[in-house]
Amino acid sequence: MSRKIEVKHLTRVEGHGRIEVTIEGNTVKDVKMNIFEGPRFFEAFIETVKYDKVPDIMRRICAICTASHSLASIRAIEKAFDVKVTPQTELLRDLLIHGEMVESHALHVFALALPDFLGYPDVIRMTEKYPNEVKAALQLKKAGNMVHNIVSGREVHGMNERVGGFSKIPAEEELLKLKEVMQKVKPTAELAVKLFSSFQIPKFAESENTLMALDPGEKFGFLGDYVLISTGEKFPIERYKELTNEKTVKHSHAKFSSYKGRPFMVGALPRILLNKDKLSGTARELFNQHKDMLTHRNSLTNNLAQAIELVHSVERCIEDIDVLLTTGLRNEGLVEITPKAGQGIGAVEAPRGILYHDYIFDEKGCITKANVITPTAQNVANIEKDFQVAIPRLINQPEEKIRHGLEIIARAYDPCISCSVHVAIIKNA
Amino acid sequence: MEKPRIGIFSLTGCGGDQLMILNLEDELLDLLSHFDIKSFQEASSYEETTELDIAFVEGSVSTKTDLERLKEIRNRCKLLIALGDCAIDGCVQAMRNQQMTIAEKMRKVYGVEEDYYDVLEPKGLAAHVKVDIKIPGCPIEKTEVLHAIISLLHGDMPEAIDYPVCVECKLNEYPCVIIEKDMPCLGPITTAGCDARCPGLGLDCIGCRGPIKDEANAAEELNLLSEKGFDFEYIANRLRFFGGNFEEIVKLTGSLKKKIGEGGQADE
Repeated sequence: MSRKIEVKHLTRVEGHGRIEVTIEGNTVKDVKMNIFEGPRFFEAFIETVKYDKVPDIMRRICAICTASHSLASIRAIEKAFDVKVTPQTELLRDLLIHGEMVESHALHVFALALPDFLGYPDVIRMTEKYPNEVKAALQLKKAGNMVHNIVSGREVHGMNERVGGFSKIPAEEELLKLKEVMQKVKPTAELAVKLFSSFQIPKFAESENTLMALDPGEKFGFLGDYVLISTGEKFPIERYKELTNEKTVKHSHAKFSSYKGRPFMVGALPRILLNKDKLSGTARELFNQHKDMLTHRNSLTNNLAQAIELVHSVERCIEDIDVLLTTGLRNEGLVEITPKAGQGIGAVEAPRGILYHDYIFDEKGCITKANVITPTAQNVANIEKDFQVAIPRLINQPEEKIRHGLEIIARAYDPCISCSVHVAIIKNA
Repeated sequence: MEKPRIGIFSLTGCGGDQLMILNLEDELLDLLSHFDIKSFQEASSYEETTELDIAFVEGSVSTKTDLERLKEIRNRCKLLIALGDCAIDGCVQAMRNQQMTIAEKMRKVYGVEEDYYDVLEPKGLAAHVKVDIKIPGCPIEKTEVLHAIISLLHGDMPEAIDYPVCVECKLNEYPCVIIEKDMPCLGPITTAGCDARCPGLGLDCIGCRGPIKDEANAAEELNLLSEKGFDFEYIANRLRFFGGNFEEIVKLTGSLKKKIGEGGQADE
């Protein structure tokens, strides 16, 4: 006899998704993570748009990782036109992406994932028992937003980061204030690590995972031009198509990513595990304390990895500000751009994993073809693999427990469904 | 007094307007305590399908599912608030409305022409149901939404802005980026309320709060930018970023259809 288990509308995630599992006897017959978010066709409508405003439009793929999209977009354009930016621009971009990580991870770790572990439907209802923790978490999130405001111009869909540099350089006082705020919220980031390392992280999804993350260079970070894989391989991002290998899967009409025929994982856990030797400061100490919990076999430890990245990101914001202020801020203007026909590929580590933007331009610098691969699109196949592994281990539990287990798996990846312009084509029956 | 029952919903979009509400970090807990929240998908697993005093809806109507959900929400709420550009006029995803067929979009992005998603041409909520209040922006300004909510709690309707970004730009005494720097600014035809943020950063407005209803003179903007030397396609794309459902802009830029068709090997 077959039965169906459904999570009709995934909550506490960005966008609209659904989980459907068909079980026959004790075996899993079918698993689907359906995306019923409407497609928006960014890659189609951006054609003919001139490069100067491409990042402003493409960042609107997603609100929570808006700066990741704009930076991936800008990096792709700069590669296509051989643009070299100044060290100050690189530092401000590094500050921006770390600020985005603080904002996004604070929201996800405290407001979206934590309620699962404390037994609440949401963070608002958690406030009664944990008012101070919730308020502190909101202040941590606000600190991340402050970076968006100061560096990018506003919290969501900023505009100050441009192809070739920044339009307006932040004032010294703003950066000093930001540093002060970051110092104040650092204990809250550490609290996230304390909390998630104290929970019994469920092991029902344990299995082999292939991990991928960008190589950030010497220091831990979120910008890079090479992809590291847990198999020990390393590829330039220009070969992203071989790594992501999007294809249509019959059972769900879904475009799923695979590497060498297997699903893989991107996100905080892959970043921390593949680049652990590059961590420094308190983040490194905390990683060393909890490294036994962080295993590539358990994707549910992704939340703890996010917490460690929160600490890293707060520390890095402070460090970047110190360097900027020591060097002295210069109103250097934008690098001059000469558009030309050709292709450019840019990648960043968005909060949820590697994000690729790939553009082809005509000689006037207008887009003739665009391709975007988001982290959630890469993770969906792995999430389904985890469902497959988990269900036989949960099968004797009450249906409510199974359903909750599936939600915990999906939420551990912090899926951003709005982002996944590409994820799946599902006929909405 | 019983707390007003509210629901916060999203259709097709980036989730940015719900996020802007969550970004009211200092006021959020206090603000939400004045309401009985029945639905807030992005933030809560709690959901109760019931009559609502106010429904906040972000996102555009881009699929048949969106449309069904919207009608269902409209049927059980007293006040329907369109939150952000997507919900007001379709936002960036409406950019190619009447320029590119759904089959063409499917082929370019997914490599198949069949409409698996039951896609509709992206529109704002008011194209399908009665909308009581519109709060513009991509994303919304959090102070604007905060003030709107406070007005509603006091039983007042929030005030809509009906003047262009230029007004706020002048009040801030920013140099005009069109006149001084020959930049293709859309400030003259774009709804104010952002405190002229982009000109303040030395940038030209891209129109993210949408054209001013019944007031925007898109033809004159097109003339002005043509005189500055921008080519037609550049201006037409610019006008369409947030104006793909704005009648005058569609009329002015319709001729682009052929051009895009040729570039993308369209079959129509």
